[in-house]
Amino acid sequence: MTDIFQAVINGVLTGALIAIPAMGLTAIFAVLRYVNFAIGSLATTGAFAAWMLNTHAGWPVLPSMAGAFVLVAAAGLAIEQAALSRLRPSGALTVAIASIAVGIILENMLRFGFGNDLRAFDLPLMRDWRFWGLRVGPQQLQTAGIALAIMAAVFAFLRFTRYGKAMRAVADNPDLARLFGMEPRRIAMATVALGTGLTGVGGALLGLDSAIDPMSGSRLLLPIFAAAVLGGLGSIPGAVAGAILIGIGEELSLLVIPATYRSAVGFLTILLVLSFRPGGLFGERAA
Amino acid sequence: MLEVAGLVAGYASAEQILKGVSVEVGAGELVTLVGPNGAGKSTLLKVVSGLVPAREGQVLLEGRDVTRQSAVERARAGFAFVMQEKNVFGTLSVAENLELACYARPVEMAARRASIYDRYPVLADKRRALARTLSGGQRQILAMAMALLTEPKMLLLDEPTAGLSPKATEELFEVVLGLRDLGLPILMVEQHALEALEVSSRGYVLVSGTNAAEGEGPALAADPEIRRLFLGG
Repeated sequence: MTDIFQAVINGVLTGALIAIPAMGLTAIFAVLRYVNFAIGSLATTGAFAAWMLNTHAGWPVLPSMAGAFVLVAAAGLAIEQAALSRLRPSGALTVAIASIAVGIILENMLRFGFGNDLRAFDLPLMRDWRFWGLRVGPQQLQTAGIALAIMAAVFAFLRFTRYGKAMRAVADNPDLARLFGMEPRRIAMATVALGTGLTGVGGALLGLDSAIDPMSGSRLLLPIFAAAVLGGLGSIPGAVAGAILIGIGEELSLLVIPATYRSAVGFLTILLVLSFRPGGLFGERAA
Repeated sequence: MLEVAGLVAGYASAEQILKGVSVEVGAGELVTLVGPNGAGKSTLLKVVSGLVPAREGQVLLEGRDVTRQSAVERARAGFAFVMQEKNVFGTLSVAENLELACYARPVEMAARRASIYDRYPVLADKRRALARTLSGGQRQILAMAMALLTEPKMLLLDEPTAGLSPKATEELFEVVLGLRDLGLPILMVEQHALEALEVSSRGYVLVSGTNAAEGEGPALAADPEIRRLFLGG
């Protein structure tokens, strides 16, 4: 029973980290109606950006993550403007395939620049806390706490600010938004900046949790996508719920299958959701 | 107030839907467009609002040419368009819908919303409800209220009573007549053509994307030929 509780705790903590890039992916889908598979490599870019700022420039963790947000948001916007938006007339599938290509290019640029070695943030080592036979790392709790604060900030932005509500309106009905003076194109670009920036921060958080390498984000692409699909593509609360469930599912699966097959949870989830409940847990887009 | 002259328009790669339509709406007038399905009535409103581009012709608001302006620019210029369907943000609350209706002019929003709640108490009661949970009639009233919050110079209504119960239809007609009495110019497409023409200053009959007839609303409603051909009477 202790193993199960431990797996649930680990799953929630991991899920909180997956939730940030999943929110980014689903926000972009809600407004632009395509799945940006470059999210994995953008997360890696954020992880390396934060790592550079932390270990080379000597920035503390939080400013390093803010730097990662800005850098990856700028990169995401540049990619959208230079490549993806030009392909939109050819349909969502074409844009999604192009985003895979962009992801591969980014990943190889990182490999070229940093090599394949594992890198770690400059953080003090701390002993795990133990209680009732369970174990939790202080660093894990800190990164999960930052992830929760980011989620709360994104929810507050979308729910209480005029621009956040406009983003939700454009995601709901772009034609109607135009009739009330909202600029769907400008709002879409702001959403891309927000979504990719969040992905960059998500990558940085995952870097805090473990070491990073140029493949870190790509390995997470499947659980991130599965989380967004499970929650309902286009739904921000859905992405968070989906990420927590995927995190728990992956950790529980380790009790019965070898770690090598852990990614089966994401595959299976996507297969089941698309087969039986294509709208996901939260039904329709409700960013 | 609104002058539409020789409008030619259609959807991408399809044939022209509008083939030279001309319509005028004067200050304080309620003008109704009637005609068979496929005549181009709804397309005309979409072109006037800027959602569909005009290929030829002109759209003038208060004498100013807005033909090449985007829907966003036209909304800021004073057009308000209540579409037949998907005319509210379903995943947002009633209060949020009303707030976003003030997006182009975000001043005195609380007072403007309060006046809407006074005029339409049903919206005040439902202010926290998601718009998609409203009944058909309530949704149309919300859509109308959102249009009013933009303080428009010209209101375009596309079949505002479509799909409503007889009681809700009657209530919505009252709302439209109330707006007309306030002096707001309205160009309306309405499925209850006879009733709409009877309360309209003028009416236009469109057939296959062209002007087939025009005149005073009650006169058109009483014309036996028009009634036989288009109004089922």
